[in-house]
Amino acid sequence: MNRPDHIAATGPGRLYRGQTAVDFYGHRRIGLVVAIIVVVVTITSLFVQGLNLGLDFEGGQAWDVPASEAFGVDEAEDVLRDNDVPVAGSKIQLREAESLSFVAVQIEVVPTDQAQQITDGFAAAAGVDVEEISFAFTSSSWGDDITQKAVRALVIFLIVVAIFISIRFEWRMAIAALAAMAHDVLLAVGVYTVFQFEVTPATVIAFLTILGYSLYDTIVVFDRVQENEGKYASVRMPYADVVNISMNQVLMRSINTSISSILPVISLLLIGSGLLGAIALQEFALALLVGMLAGVYSSIFVASPLLATLRSNTGRKSRRERLTGEDLRTAVVGAGVSGRISTDVNEADAEDGSDRIDVDKTAAVHQPAERILTHPPRPRKKKRR
Amino acid sequence: MKRRLWMSFLATTVAVIAIFTANLATGTTPLLGLDLQGGASVILEPAEDASGEDLTVIRDLIRDELERSGIAEPNVRVQGDTIVVELPGVKDQQAALEAVDVSGIVELRPVVESSECSSGFAPETPLDGVSVDPVSVPDDTVGRRSLRTPSEPTPVLDLPLLPDESGLPPTSGAELLPTRDGQVLCVGPAQGTGEVFERQSAVVDNSLGFQVNVELNGGTGPDGRTGTETWNTLATQCFNGTPTCPRTIPGSNGQLAIVLDDVIQSAPSVNQPVFDGAVSITGSFTQSEAEDLANILNRGAFPVEMVAQEAQTISPAAGQESLRASVIAGFIGLVLVLIFLLAYYRWIALVILGGLTIWAMTVFSVAAFVSSATNYSLSLAGVTGIIVAIGVTVDSYVVFFERMKDEIRNGRTLKNAAPRSFKMTWRTIWSADLVSVIGAAILFSLSVGSVRGFALFLGITTLCDLFVCYFFTRPAVLLLARSKFMAGRKAFGLEVAS
Repeated sequence: MNRPDHIAATGPGRLYRGQTAVDFYGHRRIGLVVAIIVVVVTITSLFVQGLNLGLDFEGGQAWDVPASEAFGVDEAEDVLRDNDVPVAGSKIQLREAESLSFVAVQIEVVPTDQAQQITDGFAAAAGVDVEEISFAFTSSSWGDDITQKAVRALVIFLIVVAIFISIRFEWRMAIAALAAMAHDVLLAVGVYTVFQFEVTPATVIAFLTILGYSLYDTIVVFDRVQENEGKYASVRMPYADVVNISMNQVLMRSINTSISSILPVISLLLIGSGLLGAIALQEFALALLVGMLAGVYSSIFVASPLLATLRSNTGRKSRRERLTGEDLRTAVVGAGVSGRISTDVNEADAEDGSDRIDVDKTAAVHQPAERILTHPPRPRKKKRR
Repeated sequence: MKRRLWMSFLATTVAVIAIFTANLATGTTPLLGLDLQGGASVILEPAEDASGEDLTVIRDLIRDELERSGIAEPNVRVQGDTIVVELPGVKDQQAALEAVDVSGIVELRPVVESSECSSGFAPETPLDGVSVDPVSVPDDTVGRRSLRTPSEPTPVLDLPLLPDESGLPPTSGAELLPTRDGQVLCVGPAQGTGEVFERQSAVVDNSLGFQVNVELNGGTGPDGRTGTETWNTLATQCFNGTPTCPRTIPGSNGQLAIVLDDVIQSAPSVNQPVFDGAVSITGSFTQSEAEDLANILNRGAFPVEMVAQEAQTISPAAGQESLRASVIAGFIGLVLVLIFLLAYYRWIALVILGGLTIWAMTVFSVAAFVSSATNYSLSLAGVTGIIVAIGVTVDSYVVFFERMKDEIRNGRTLKNAAPRSFKMTWRTIWSADLVSVIGAAILFSLSVGSVRGFALFLGITTLCDLFVCYFFTRPAVLLLARSKFMAGRKAFGLEVAS
């Protein structure tokens, strides 16, 4: 390919300089196929095996007993049997971490005095003080309560967010953003149901975080789309092109933000789970990791193509083929400057005449950066106030 | 313009550092949640709808009860329509859980003929010689109350409050209930609650044998009547032996049973139709019996029944481990992010370093303030919320700097690019952050439990991000862009025209 000199020769270089020219809209079917797979797998798995609901949703009692060579899953079962608790209906698992290992025992609701006997039994069997054993009790109605309230909060949140995006941007963007968000949450739920991770209140928090993060990311991307839309208003640029240009422009930002967001989560995953066996932080961090990656992916591959599709059916007719390859690249690079792209010199950037972009109307998107800005902008006049 | 930027920059920096230092100096730190320091926690929920005032009353009652049982610094607070009891650092967790288990409400139920109860095997003989007199009247009633060893466990409800399926009351509302001595009495439906008594007014008087004095509540209850009125209506009925409160024992007036958690604590006969503000319960009490009764009457002002929904104990070792792990994880995460951004943005990333420091200090101060003002503690959920928020906070800088990069690449000077970039970026940042804040606010007001803590700290960090972005990052970048320091240096790995 013949590229002008100012375009970096290597892929990463172009990425770094914001000179990529990926035809995201053209590859929208990838996003569609992945989304369909995610939805089908999640729903199938939900029907087939459901979610592995934790103590807080089913009610019951749970202990975290420090594990040792003398105390493991079998010994815990013995203690339960001694106290007439059916082992079959209980969950017993060993949670190993570097510094602290626990045998996590979860049973259905039993009276307090019996629970206390079991606690004492565990303490005796494991050879530890009673206070070293963590104990949790949840009534069965509590989980329903939490879930109901969370769902209610979620529904209200979604309505408010849809209204907010409709006002701040437009309703089609609200639809696209919520679709991308649903995609991300479904993906995270899918991970939980396919691998049968235990769903705890921490998991609900992880889902909510994913939801918020996904929306946040989509809004950042849409903001650029909206800005570019205004910029190309006079050029009658097809919407798909506007979306493509915007995606390429925010690509580096998306990657940077993802790295910045994911680094702490990875640190949580590696360090936290090594020390925090008790709350299954590993699964929590894993859900976050999947969800955040999905959030970045979906805002580019799901939300934006969907938006372009929604818009292209109603919007202006395009006069020509979509920009691809080097043409797209030129447009991506050329549109980086703030202000309008327009022929009317007086109208362009009226509030800041020194920076006006001196270009031909239709050629605007085909100009390399050097020619868009034929001379370095004059510094602003110093005005003393 | 330049002066205003300096003003904003310096004022923010000085203010945030001053507040942070003041917080450190006075030892005001965010209240740590139970899962970060170990201890016991119970979440209680009212069995029926309760007003905020009721919950406040119950909260105070539980706190008094815990302090009385020797637990230091119980953290009892109203969260939404639940009451959260946290006992940090408690050693004997089972004892603590029992102490928290103050679920019952005290009812006043007249003793009725045993034939009213379906099974009808209740003894006809008077059980208690306990009687109710006005305070001024000297005790002239001698009881035959059987002795009870003080070590006998108080019959409080078991923690898992399973619905009582055995003692379903017949249609008349009468039911057979055990007394504390193990006998059984047939009592009618509840005519009043412990609310008729003035809160915390029951005292043991040992001038003439042990007796319990309690004041009647002069304030109006939920039914619009004062406690005194309710009590006197009942007392008159019992005194006159009306069908509601018949004379079940020959030669004695009607008995009024004080019932807690379906156990009759005492069933004194009423010796006077009208009481004036105070009641004295006399009988052959031992000291501990009298004290128990006084405590029950004090506790009896529970306006609604509370049901334990969740109880948790976390061993101090596990709690501290969690705290250590999350602090280390957060710190390492932050350092990794900073290294990445310094490598990527070079000199301008100094602003991120400064901004994140200011942000962390602000979050700390706000969290300390919020947790001391509202008793919301920083739990593990909150900590993860903050760690996750690092990403969103850093995004503000990334969006801003990427935009500047674009502008510079297209030939603008750094000085020129900075303010324009900020103008465009600020729009993006507030729109995106506002969604987070809306989400946090809705979650906070509508959800319960740990989700609430998460939402609170997500909201705090996002608002702090907006604050730092406008009042620190903006002036810092704009000033740096104008300064001679940046001239000729690589700001974004790009040669900047000077």
